[in-house]
Amino acid sequence: MGLMHKLPPIVDPLPGGKTMIDAVSYIINWARSNSIWPLTYGTSCCAIEMMAAAAPRYDISRFGSEVFRASPRQCDLIILAGTITEKMAGPLKTLYDQMSGPKYVIAMGACTISGGPFYYDNYSVVKGADRILPVDVYIPGCPPRPEALFNGLLMLQEKIRKTESLRNTWHEHEIYTKPATNTWSDAAKAWDALEKIKDQEQAEARAKFKEENPDYQAFKAVRVVAPAFPEVPRKPDRPRGKSNLELWKLIQAKFPGLKLYKKELGDHEVSDTAAVEALGTDYTLDFEVPVDQYVALATFLKQTPDLSLEMLLDLTAVDFTDHFDVVVQLLSVTQGQKVFFRVSLPKKEVSPEEAPTAILASVPTLSGLWPAANWKEREVYDMFGIDFTGHPDMRRLFMEDDFVGYPLRKDFVNPNIIKRPY
Amino acid sequence: MEMVKRPLPAGFQKVSGDDNTEEYFINMGPQHPATHGVLRLVLRLDGETVRECVPHLGYIHRGIEKQAESETYLQYVHLTDRMDYLTSHMNNHSVCMAIEKAVGIGVPDRAEYIRVMVLELNRISSHLMMFGCFGGDLGAQTALLYGFKEREVITDIFDELCGARLTMNYFRPGGVANDIPDTFIARVKKVIVDVERTLEEFDRLITGNVIIQERSRGIGILTREDAIAYGCTGCVLRASGVPYDLRKDDPYSIYDRLDFDVPTKQNGDSFDRYVIHIDEIRQSIRILQQCIEQIPEGPYRSKEKPSYRLPAGSYYAATETAKGIFGTYVVAEKGDKPWRIHSRSPNFANLSPIGKMVKGHMIADVVTVITTLDILIPDIDR
Ligand code: SF4
Repeated sequence: MGLMHKLPPIVDPLPGGKTMIDAVSYIINWARSNSIWPLTYGTSCCAIEMMAAAAPRYDISRFGSEVFRASPRQCDLIILAGTITEKMAGPLKTLYDQMSGPKYVIAMGACTISGGPFYYDNYSVVKGADRILPVDVYIPGCPPRPEALFNGLLMLQEKIRKTESLRNTWHEHEIYTKPATNTWSDAAKAWDALEKIKDQEQAEARAKFKEENPDYQAFKAVRVVAPAFPEVPRKPDRPRGKSNLELWKLIQAKFPGLKLYKKELGDHEVSDTAAVEALGTDYTLDFEVPVDQYVALATFLKQTPDLSLEMLLDLTAVDFTDHFDVVVQLLSVTQGQKVFFRVSLPKKEVSPEEAPTAILASVPTLSGLWPAANWKEREVYDMFGIDFTGHPDMRRLFMEDDFVGYPLRKDFVNPNIIKRPY
Repeated sequence: MEMVKRPLPAGFQKVSGDDNTEEYFINMGPQHPATHGVLRLVLRLDGETVRECVPHLGYIHRGIEKQAESETYLQYVHLTDRMDYLTSHMNNHSVCMAIEKAVGIGVPDRAEYIRVMVLELNRISSHLMMFGCFGGDLGAQTALLYGFKEREVITDIFDELCGARLTMNYFRPGGVANDIPDTFIARVKKVIVDVERTLEEFDRLITGNVIIQERSRGIGILTREDAIAYGCTGCVLRASGVPYDLRKDDPYSIYDRLDFDVPTKQNGDSFDRYVIHIDEIRQSIRILQQCIEQIPEGPYRSKEKPSYRLPAGSYYAATETAKGIFGTYVVAEKGDKPWRIHSRSPNFANLSPIGKMVKGHMIADVVTVITTLDILIPDIDR
């Protein structure tokens, strides 16, 4: 590009501000449009379709774009394949800035067009790539099929051939001087106007049709009868390992004060042992443990050879507005039994203004017993603001460090969330 | 000259006391072709040897669990497609099973057979993808092309079945969305033949390859104890010598009627984690063959409920996906929306030992470890 600028102009701008595309630039554009090198960038699902497009069946090299480069400095196209989150937006902008111009952007999939399936009620997804980058071509779909990607690519090629020229220093200038605009609202306005025109045209057409065919009768819609399916009784699970009752008895022998968690049974007052039997094999043993016995119980469950619940399958939390439940799931890979146990943590008293951003509960960590608990507890800290005392590395796991609030709490407020209108 | 003391990057604990080496930090990702998405690893290197590795997550954290609280149970099914999109049928299955358990919906036999066939096809396609990436990341681009070529045939079946190539949303509580087309069985039979041939090709091309062996044998060893302690499941766990497979050990659907083995390896290195995928595909083919013979006539779905309202309580259902145990934990209070849904994602646990596994290896081996762990970042971040 640099050298070309220094060449004497072959054809001057025409009167009226238009530029005539001269032969040299025609050839350059033709060549450029047929050898677009994309960046290997993909964040999620759409990336698989992008890879499929490069694979033998679809073979993107038919369109001259098979050279996927891993370094942005060698590319002129970035296909935004996959959701863009707030955390990824910064790195993405850096990638774009590192690309050498002229550079193009294809927004692939619903996520990069508008946030797609993550548009409503979501705190972390960027609602459209054009809020960060200037997008050249949009490809709808979730995910778009490889054919659709090719269609987008062909459109981009056409765009390059038609709009680029030597004298047009391309939108480089625009990007480095102007901040990215929110094209979404402009597009929405234009769309609204179009819709109105369309409605009017349709109404006119309908009126005209009625006038011309006064005795026309519309067809009655026939309702398709849904097939009648039988009701099938549910077969109970056949779990291996010790039965719930055996487990419950073993645990109760050591920790007699534990309470069974039996919300599924409703309000009926039943003894815990009877409840274990009533809930059947479908149900996985689930009990509450007081905070002071939490670590002792976990150690007991892990180290007793009869139970040998040596794998921490999951650790998560639930916000019941007045208290948190930290739920732990253990599995014995050698014997087959599994249990849930939970510790109920009352929320600390803080003023209502502070509540959304304050750490509201704390519980001892299990990461000394199971390394698996390390990340799980960080996730719970990140999402609920529950502190795990004694944890070696208590940082947020998913969100940035300066993120305000704890998303999975029921009182989480984020002004950027777009609420579903229905 | 006095050295400028920079603060340590987040997550690193201490500096080594050795003065003879110069240690430095390098950032791998979030945009890196071999991290399978947007994983970011910060490596502390001594020359080319990795001394410490700290993963940073969250670059594709899409807040699915929060969003699920404002969607109905049926709407949630389609969000699980987008977690681990290579095993989307299996994720859907786990959500449907949780709903079935809670509301008490049965599944007709034909639906169960359809489900299992679709699941096993999905497993094969995910494993084929793993081969492709394994070869591709180690520099054998041919493998990537071969893997994708076979995978397309399976994708075509799904395309005909439910109209989607990747995000299927085909399972419903009580069965599947629609019956299989007439061509389904014939196509599956063809896939079986094709895949068996491909496996032989793969064995010749990749498994016996000297370079692949050199680069993966003894690399990233995960001991049996570590695999259990970190909560690894699926192929990663079985390659370390623990024969735990939900399909055998806690059978769901109709897996207890089918005859198959659980392949296990003992070394727990990258090569074992790769080879075990081939063995698993062979078992999946066995399952498919039995299903083709046994599939009965009948309805493909049991009676629909107008809306799925779960009685208050907590429900859990898990499936063995191609990556490991995918569990859905539902807490229902009232109404047709969940109070909280949590997904136990297999990739999350499978990635967590990576710091331990790459320690002491060369920087190029980090790539080998990541591909053989067969992780997918959107499932980790959710
Ligand atoms: S558009 Fe759909 S398929 Fe593509 S990244 Fe978004 S959710 Fe995934």
